[in-house]
Amino acid sequence: MTAMLEIVTFAVCAFIAIAGALGMTTTMSMFRSGIFLMASFIGVAGLFILLAADLIGILQIMMYIGGFLVMILFMVLVMHDPGGAMMAGMDMALIERWFSKGLVPRGHPHDGHMHGDHKEGHDSDNQENDAAEHASGGGHEGHSMPHGAHAAPDHPSMQHGDDTGHEGHAMHHGNGNHSSTEMGEMDMSMVTPVRPVAAWLAVAVGIVLVGMLLLRPAWRVVDALPDPDSARRIGQLLMEKYMVAFEGAGFLILIGIFGAVLLARPSTYPDDSSRSAKVAVDEKPEPIAHDGLPPLTRSERSDEHQARQQRPKEHCA
Amino acid sequence: MDSSPKISVSPVVTDYGFVALVLVMTCGLALLAAGRFLRAPQRQIDISPVWAQFRFGYGIYALIFLAFDMEMIFMYPWAVVFADIGISAFLDMLVFIVLLGAGIAYAWGMGGLKWE
Amino acid sequence: MGVIVTGTAVLAALLAGAALTYGLERLFVQHGREPGPAHDVEFNRNLHIANSDRWLLPAGPVVAVAGVALAVVVVPFGPGLIGRDLGIGLFYVIVVIDFVVLGLALAGWGADTPDTVEACYRIIAQLVAYVVPLGLAYVGVIMMARSLSTISVVNAQSALWFVVLQPIGFVLYLVTGLMQSYRAPFLEPFAGSIGGGVLGVSGGWSALLWRVALSGVFFLVAAIGAVLYLGGPSGPVLPGWLWMLVKTYALMALMLGLGRCVRPLSTAQMLALSWKFLIPLGLVNVLLVGGLILLGIGP
Repeated sequence: MTAMLEIVTFAVCAFIAIAGALGMTTTMSMFRSGIFLMASFIGVAGLFILLAADLIGILQIMMYIGGFLVMILFMVLVMHDPGGAMMAGMDMALIERWFSKGLVPRGHPHDGHMHGDHKEGHDSDNQENDAAEHASGGGHEGHSMPHGAHAAPDHPSMQHGDDTGHEGHAMHHGNGNHSSTEMGEMDMSMVTPVRPVAAWLAVAVGIVLVGMLLLRPAWRVVDALPDPDSARRIGQLLMEKYMVAFEGAGFLILIGIFGAVLLARPSTYPDDSSRSAKVAVDEKPEPIAHDGLPPLTRSERSDEHQARQQRPKEHCA
Repeated sequence: MDSSPKISVSPVVTDYGFVALVLVMTCGLALLAAGRFLRAPQRQIDISPVWAQFRFGYGIYALIFLAFDMEMIFMYPWAVVFADIGISAFLDMLVFIVLLGAGIAYAWGMGGLKWE
Repeated sequence: MGVIVTGTAVLAALLAGAALTYGLERLFVQHGREPGPAHDVEFNRNLHIANSDRWLLPAGPVVAVAGVALAVVVVPFGPGLIGRDLGIGLFYVIVVIDFVVLGLALAGWGADTPDTVEACYRIIAQLVAYVVPLGLAYVGVIMMARSLSTISVVNAQSALWFVVLQPIGFVLYLVTGLMQSYRAPFLEPFAGSIGGGVLGVSGGWSALLWRVALSGVFFLVAAIGAVLYLGGPSGPVLPGWLWMLVKTYALMALMLGLGRCVRPLSTAQMLALSWKFLIPLGLVNVLLVGGLILLGIGP
């Protein structure tokens, strides 16, 4: 009974870890990608806990929630389509479509036109689907669209569509691309010819690694249970055996802080793309209305606050 | 019936089994809540989507937070054994804290700790 | 079957605590002030948002409630009245309450409206601000209790409560506890100027779950504070659970009262407060407590 339960738990945790990793590489939304990685590491934490290493398991979760939320922020800072709204309207492999369900594609005036022309591209995509079941998302990461999230293609982007269409690796969708160049920048093909090769390579590497694990000559089996008071054990090890590593880690963290401060200094000439990005504002909070103190002078309320007061609030239907 | 060697389970695993049970029950509760509101009238919000490249002003705080998160990870097991080991543990952690304090002092001095 | 009963008891404790907390907050709501997480929400009507991410937006409140429920497992409500005494209870609590932040961020981003994405940023800023000082306050207590388990912390205070031995840590805990539960003066993510943030786009079942999560996290912060600094469910005459209740709600009232004495802080001010003042204070606290232990003061 216990053995059965352990095997089931192991299977569940392993499934979460692998499914999370798969989701991370194939989903169209970058935010979801980060969340899937978090889920994957929660599966790994479960595996640690099965080995009675509870402190390390919970430590995994702590690092990945705290650290990853911050990393997702930086990703949104740098990438042009973090929510996946633009990519959601594109042709996707089956597994990508599954992991991107629920994303509403950004509305496009040429919608019907686009889908019609991509049908032939889609058929050839289907053949590729069978080969590329474990589609690695490598092809997608490099294609951050240079024209950001401006969803209005009315401006003369037709010429832009020409250039960017050829910039993308569009050999596979050759037919689709010629007709797509007249539709603006959203139809840049996201499929690269290396995708099936990459997928097969990933599968091959996975088989080699698993084979190395399984065919290992001897597994040492230890009967004794690990010490349940893991925090104390780890603390003692840190202080006795791994003291140098402990201080070295502190030093490494210090170097990291130096690097972060040096790199993150606002540059003297910020470039256009970052200037055009939206900014999360630091608003002064609304002053307390009835606290009996003399009213604030106008200059104390921030300009942003004034602007928001004048903007008509969205009305619910 | 069971001829395989007896598998002993660490108490840690059973503890976290309980935790997993509570998690499952919470999800069940959430489903119940969703089910109770299933036929409630709906209202619609139609606001244009806004996912785009965003700048935010606390990037440097976030990077230093990552570094200090790693520091906190070391401090928890140290705190558990501190009283048993005594002064040598205190001195070791003093070195660690001084290193990280130097990091914060550097960031502060270089004007990094501000909203951009 | 015993585990299922215990699990149900844990969830019931959470719901009862959250309901009492919500009642208390509603009682003390003042006009003209930011309601923060006590923002009005529509319970009756479900909300449908046109361009939301259909996986992330519903996942938000569920993750937040799961975080709070998991954390209640290690709170000792009385001698023997604890879900499970995990060996690493306190570390587990810090990590699991981070799930509330994760849930708020998921919903904030998922709803895909300008106000909620703004709220998502403020929420993650709050995470960046509170985790390290809160951890430093915990570390002081752990050093004196010599263990991460909540029951050991309660037992270590049988002679003297830690609030007396570590006043700096207590103040640190009060401030970061307010940050952790998004109450005044740190309620920018739920400010009226962004329409209540995530609460403004919740309705029906998600509003109910957010209520439970936000009241629950405040209840949890106060309960863990009572365990860490006020001796938990221990006291002379009354039964343990009654003492725990009294201490939790007294701490909650203290935090609410102190929080309202200060004007709401903007996100930048909160981050500056945390990194320039609270973290050096926390490091000093750790060194002080270390000195106290070496001198033999304390349990």
